[in-house]
Amino acid sequence: MIPQPVFDLLQTGVSVIVGTRDSTLMPESTRAWGIHVGKNRDSVTIFLTEAISRKTIENLKENGLVAISCTRPTDHVACQLKGRLQTIRPAGQRDRKNSSDWHREFVEELVAIGVPADLCEAWITAPALAIDIDVTDVFHQTPGPGAGEKV
Amino acid sequence: MEDRLLKLEELWPCFQGIIPAALSTCSQDGTPNITFISQVHYVDHTHVAISHQFFNKTHRNVRENPLACAMMLDPRTLQAHRIYLRYQHSESSGPLFDSMSLQLQAIASHAGMTDVFRLRSADVYEVLRIERVDGFTRLPPAMPTDRPSRLFVDQDLESLRLFSERIHRAELLEDLLETTLRLLDDLFGFRHSMILLMDERNTKLFTIASRGYPENGVGSEVGIGEGLIGTVARARRALQLSAIDHSLRYARAVRDRMEAGGGADAVCREIPLPGLPSAAGQIAVPLLTRGRLIGVLAVESAEPLAFMAREDTLLTIVASHLGGCIEQLSRDTEESPQGALAKPQSLRALAAPPRSRSFCFFPQDDCVFVDGEYLIRNVPGRILWRLLTQHRDEGRTEFSNRELRMDSWLGLPEIKDNLECRLILLRKRMEQKCPDIRLVPRGRGRFALETDVAIALSERDT
Repeated sequence: MIPQPVFDLLQTGVSVIVGTRDSTLMPESTRAWGIHVGKNRDSVTIFLTEAISRKTIENLKENGLVAISCTRPTDHVACQLKGRLQTIRPAGQRDRKNSSDWHREFVEELVAIGVPADLCEAWITAPALAIDIDVTDVFHQTPGPGAGEKV
Repeated sequence: MEDRLLKLEELWPCFQGIIPAALSTCSQDGTPNITFISQVHYVDHTHVAISHQFFNKTHRNVRENPLACAMMLDPRTLQAHRIYLRYQHSESSGPLFDSMSLQLQAIASHAGMTDVFRLRSADVYEVLRIERVDGFTRLPPAMPTDRPSRLFVDQDLESLRLFSERIHRAELLEDLLETTLRLLDDLFGFRHSMILLMDERNTKLFTIASRGYPENGVGSEVGIGEGLIGTVARARRALQLSAIDHSLRYARAVRDRMEAGGGADAVCREIPLPGLPSAAGQIAVPLLTRGRLIGVLAVESAEPLAFMAREDTLLTIVASHLGGCIEQLSRDTEESPQGALAKPQSLRALAAPPRSRSFCFFPQDDCVFVDGEYLIRNVPGRILWRLLTQHRDEGRTEFSNRELRMDSWLGLPEIKDNLECRLILLRKRMEQKCPDIRLVPRGRGRFALETDVAIALSERDT
């Protein structure tokens, strides 16, 4: 279950990066266009576009293992979720709204640290796939000596 | 993904640490891990470095499974790139580590976190593949620039920086000369090089150090205006010869002259100038200090196209540094205290060292032979003879530059006496011809005569 502080963090405009690996243990990195915590707080849904995440989706279909790091740009507060693929599906209306809300918050965060808004608005975030992930572990990832400790 | 292969240098905006990069790794049991890293450091066109500050999962993973993938954003457009990596090694000292550590310390000190943020190592990764992530942004790619970044220091500039730093550390002239030639080889690939200095009368240049030749040629002389080196000395301008006509090669010219001169004495009292028999390219550069010629730096190569304008420029800069350093270290009027003794040089191992050495001095031309073979002449010849006779007559082993300067028989000029250079020349000739008798530096301005054999001295008029 995702603890309250991490849940709270994930409601903000966090930067979401996703790590997977293939059968040769070659890692892959991509960006997700938003994260939404599931009702029971033991799963999350992330939004990926096929154009930039083809290999990630292949890896997920192949072995299901995933690491998701979420960092709030303005204060570097961060966590990492480890999990396993539940489903891959086209993003529905609710997913699109969740992704859009996240994007608005994320752009606000980036503008606050000096990134021009027009650059952030130019990102191609749709059409997206919704990837449902069962969360197995949660780790602190705020930079410093405590990073990596299990929450 | 675009078809054209991207070069790491094209990602230069991503290496500035403006936007953190995502780094994914994977443990041996297959569990992926991903984290933000504040900066990926460019090392060279196939390597990057990542700072290791804490013993975290990334650190452990790449030591189990060296593969990694970094996703970086161009801060100008927020366009993404992926680089696929293989962890190679960690550096906890050296220029890369120092540079990354200093940067980290500066940031840490601003935040009052000096003790927390400490670089443990610079982890170096080989770049396996680079890709631009198409479909990431609607913005067109940033215009490519000819000049990737002011942060990518040109290799030659970096080498010149290292060269300058290291030669300015030399405390003794001999160290300076050896270091210079070694660095020319290590940093710039000049395998065959020599340094010649002007003699006291400004009529000839003599070789004081060389590298990359079977015979070191120390003590060999070149007249002003003679061959490439002499021409450069006269013109006081650098000269580069490529695809040299053989008849112009100075090495052969000197040897031809010796042979044409006939007479065994003429040959045996000359030391051949070092030279590649197959030299096809040469550069000679004057060593000047405050407009005064003090010597010549020369390099050569068997490759006809080895030397171009780049090499010419590099050597000119090297020579300007070297000239100043030689000038500074030649002013050795200050003697170091006895306590600060340099370590005696170890004796070169000899299979069957002779039990005695016989030196013969020819006062007519101040020439010294050892065991019937030419050793040295002129001022260094007189110096050696003075040292050997004082050793025989008074049992002395310790000497100072100051007493040599005050010795009128040696005939050293009052200013610009080149004494330190002459002693280096003498020391090197002895290392070559009679290594069991040595002049060992004892700090600045002092030296000792060490011998493992009996010494016999004689004088002959002719």
